[in-house]
Amino acid sequence: MTKPNAQTSIFSGVTLAALAAVILMPLVLPSATLATEILIFAMAALGCNLLLGYTGLLSFGQGIFFGGGAYIASLSMIHLDFGLFGALVAAMIAGSLLATLVGALAIRRTGIYFVMLTLAFSQMAYFLAYTLSDWTGGDNGLLDVPRPALSLFGFELADLTSSYAFYAFVGVLFLAIFVFARRVIHSPFGTTLVAIRENEGRASAVGFSTNHFKLLAFVISGGITGIAGALYAMLLNFAPLSNIELLMSENILIMTIIGGTGSLLGSLLGAGTIVLLGDLLSSIWPRWMIILGVALIAVVLFMPSGLWGGVESQCKRWKERRCTAGKTSGKAQEAK
Amino acid sequence: MQASKWKKLLTVAVLSAATTAVCSAEEVTVYGVKSLSGSFASYGKYADMGSKLAVEDYGNLLGSPVRYQAIDTEGNAGKAVRKVQEAISQQGARFFNGATLSSTALAIGKEVNKVGGVFMTPAGADELTGSDCNMATFRWSVPTYGAIHETVEPMIKAHPEWKRWYTITPQYVFGEALLSNAKAVFEAEGIEHVGNSYHSLQEQEFSGYLTNAMAAKPDVLLLLNFGSQSSNALRQAVNFGLKNQMKILVAWSSGLDQLQELGADVAEGVYFGAQYWHTVDTPMNKALVKRVREAYDMNPNYPMAADYIGTTVILDAIAKAGTTEGAAVAKALEATSYQGPTGDEVVRAADHQVLKNYYLLKGKAASEMQDDDDYVEIVSSGKSFPDESSLECTRS
Repeated sequence: MTKPNAQTSIFSGVTLAALAAVILMPLVLPSATLATEILIFAMAALGCNLLLGYTGLLSFGQGIFFGGGAYIASLSMIHLDFGLFGALVAAMIAGSLLATLVGALAIRRTGIYFVMLTLAFSQMAYFLAYTLSDWTGGDNGLLDVPRPALSLFGFELADLTSSYAFYAFVGVLFLAIFVFARRVIHSPFGTTLVAIRENEGRASAVGFSTNHFKLLAFVISGGITGIAGALYAMLLNFAPLSNIELLMSENILIMTIIGGTGSLLGSLLGAGTIVLLGDLLSSIWPRWMIILGVALIAVVLFMPSGLWGGVESQCKRWKERRCTAGKTSGKAQEAK
Repeated sequence: MQASKWKKLLTVAVLSAATTAVCSAEEVTVYGVKSLSGSFASYGKYADMGSKLAVEDYGNLLGSPVRYQAIDTEGNAGKAVRKVQEAISQQGARFFNGATLSSTALAIGKEVNKVGGVFMTPAGADELTGSDCNMATFRWSVPTYGAIHETVEPMIKAHPEWKRWYTITPQYVFGEALLSNAKAVFEAEGIEHVGNSYHSLQEQEFSGYLTNAMAAKPDVLLLLNFGSQSSNALRQAVNFGLKNQMKILVAWSSGLDQLQELGADVAEGVYFGAQYWHTVDTPMNKALVKRVREAYDMNPNYPMAADYIGTTVILDAIAKAGTTEGAAVAKALEATSYQGPTGDEVVRAADHQVLKNYYLLKGKAASEMQDDDDYVEIVSSGKSFPDESSLECTRS
């Protein structure tokens, strides 16, 4: 039996880095609500990363799962008096079910046709939410979404009204999902997903039912994104129609790509970068989205592994330089 | 010697901190919720200019200069709510003005109400002073009821021969509200509603709907959409030659900025409903136009006027209440009457709706324009609001 190293052990390496980020963010950032928004979108980007980074599926359907999770959690709390965990479970199930529906049909095609199918589903979901205004509030959004207290078996453990308390809850949930996602990608299932990404034909030829694997990746991604949507509705006490728009899918994709596909910590970095860029630049320049476009082009051209990939390669170079410097000084001492 | 120097420094620091704390307790900050970036940036820019100018003009309040801080909604309701929550929790913000989108205004109203603040908005959703009304939310713009009654009715009265009307409606809450009000007026006035075309929130191509309208041979085409959709629908209608076959009414225009975008060739002979027009002959409007020309070298448009008066009214209420305590300010604002840009304006206590004039404008020919912004003549104006007995607002 081989001992897991820092790279693969789910409770070390990048998990510790994620933990450090979760602890530091509310201390460094201007507010806990901003930090919470970053974590929620990092969660959504993480779900997207499982599809894009590890399975190679570019899905524009992430907004469906995000918006679906937000609506189902909100409606279950408003009309069925669901508590916090009940609403989150409902959102996760809704996200997974929607992902099953979208995935089951979309994975029948590959490449551009797959992308087009997810786009079509995204538009359909938007118009459905828009049409069912009695349930979703239509373009006005679903108002009066509660943020229930954290309770277990009827005992109230914590009131989440304060922005810091809610951040702590979202932080714990984010870390749990992060560890779960690491477990998934380091499992034989995750390795198979990577094999499908690299060469689906070959993975199929060696006996894997690639469609089943892709569908399951969709379901996991949908569940995680649904939870993120529910938390966003609880943060805002409101579920806007924009949650289910195509633009939401695009934003989640951009966060994933900028952060780095194939890296879970990259999702946190991507979400943080986009949310912070919006927050800081929008007050300076109304057309700040141009900068975002330039950043996206730069990342795609010069850092294909995203910001996290860039950080990793810089660290590697720095280590190599230190090694070379060490060897040179060693030789110099030997010569003396 | 060293010890006494440190003691002195410490005393000065403690005293200055205490003085700052005492002073800042009464310092008033108005937060402008504006779409400074994103799809509604052009609207937000003028709204921001209006609020800034109002604060600048106000000078001191409760012994301190008034401060203004803009919150950029990025044209996104979610971002807007998060930033408002942040301002409330981090800076103790209580007084807010603005919000372009109805969804943003509705959600912000709820947040501000939770902390007992005051929020004045010019947003369009009737729910703001209807089913989702609350203690904190006040609305300056005339609701859909007034917009229809002050445009459709005067046209019918002036031209009883225009008997057949066709409507083009965006299929969402705001559009439906305009349509149901229009249908009620048609029924009351014995007008034949010869057809309606619904379009979606994202529609920008209206040729199909315009063809249907032409086929119905109406006397008047009533456009119930707004913003870029009403501009596009109107441009396409003019290109199709509809202006020669029927009259066109844009019930909810955004006023000067929309007319500048359309140009006199498109606007000529077309009727527009508007919340505000800069040539309105009222003392406050004359002063506003003069001030805006001095400050920005332009005529005030709707977002600028709406956010100027919205901000001023909040500051007046704080002065009247003599405190920055939100509930007291909201109470002071209820049933207040003041001279606004549209003349006498009254805040109705029952639903926090400002009772003000709505205008019916008619596009002039380019040759008739006296200056660059003289696109229209004011045909009529008036105040139409639902009775207090029929209000959906059940705020206790």
